Amino acid sequence: MMQMAVVEPWIEAPLKHFVSETGAELALLLHPSGQVLAQHGFARAVDVMSACALAAGIHASSGELGKLLDGRPFRGLHHVGRERQIFLAEALWPRGTYIFLTVFGSESSLGLVRLYFDELVAALVAAAPKEVAPTTPALAEHFERDLNRNLAVLFGRA
Amino acid sequence: MATPFASMLDSLTRQRGVTAALVVSERDGIVVDSNLQIGQDGDRVAALAASLYRKARLAARAAGMGAVSFMQLEAPGGRLCAVGGGALVLVVVAESTVNVGLVRVELLKAIDGLSAAGGDG
Repeated sequence: MMQMAVVEPWIEAPLKHFVSETGAELALLLHPSGQVLAQHGFARAVDVMSACALAAGIHASSGELGKLLDGRPFRGLHHVGRERQIFLAEALWPRGTYIFLTVFGSESSLGLVRLYFDELVAALVAAAPKEVAPTTPALAEHFERDLNRNLAVLFGRA
Repeated sequence: MATPFASMLDSLTRQRGVTAALVVSERDGIVVDSNLQIGQDGDRVAALAASLYRKARLAARAAGMGAVSFMQLEAPGGRLCAVGGGALVLVVVAESTVNVGLVRVELLKAIDGLSAAGGDG
């Protein structure tokens, strides 16, 4: 099974630390447009693509719901299932806003995930190349090409 | 407004050498209520202590030792003590010079109150 793959190498160490400390089963870092930057635990590209699309949709809709109810977007979401839980939150760093989604079981806890998520964001901020310009919104005409390129890199087809 | 755990936490933090007392959800590692000193990171302590307690409980059960009644972690800078009551864990952070016996008695006394105040589960 594919364990971890990243589009940009500086993401790997902070994400590995998060996964090893929390025992997360799945982890996904993506752009709000749905383009994947890193994944852990997914075996198939189609699963990554589906999870990215759903995470981006949840982030967008919960953001709008937050604006309606509270005047500002909700920044995080936690959902408890029978055996697994999901945690979805915004990761803000100088290059822009990204979305982080993780799935964890009874070996971990929300407290641990939140704790190490804060550390993950701090580590990504520290590790991100300084010379890179902030990311711009994805253009519709390039979206599919960029999505396929990132998936190809993650699953070794580039 | 005082929570159901306030008096229990007050009686623990009144002990000499105790620097923090927290009621934590064992499953989530989230603080339910706490008495902390300025500068202490309750969220961090809660998440890690609950994880430690949960693993200790599972390890004791796997080894056929039964339920964990009291857990103590000793480090150069102090001690961390925990007892579980249903779905909640009562955690005390203390200086290394603390009277552990006294803290243990207070924690075990507090367990009944913890369960009565919502820790059954």
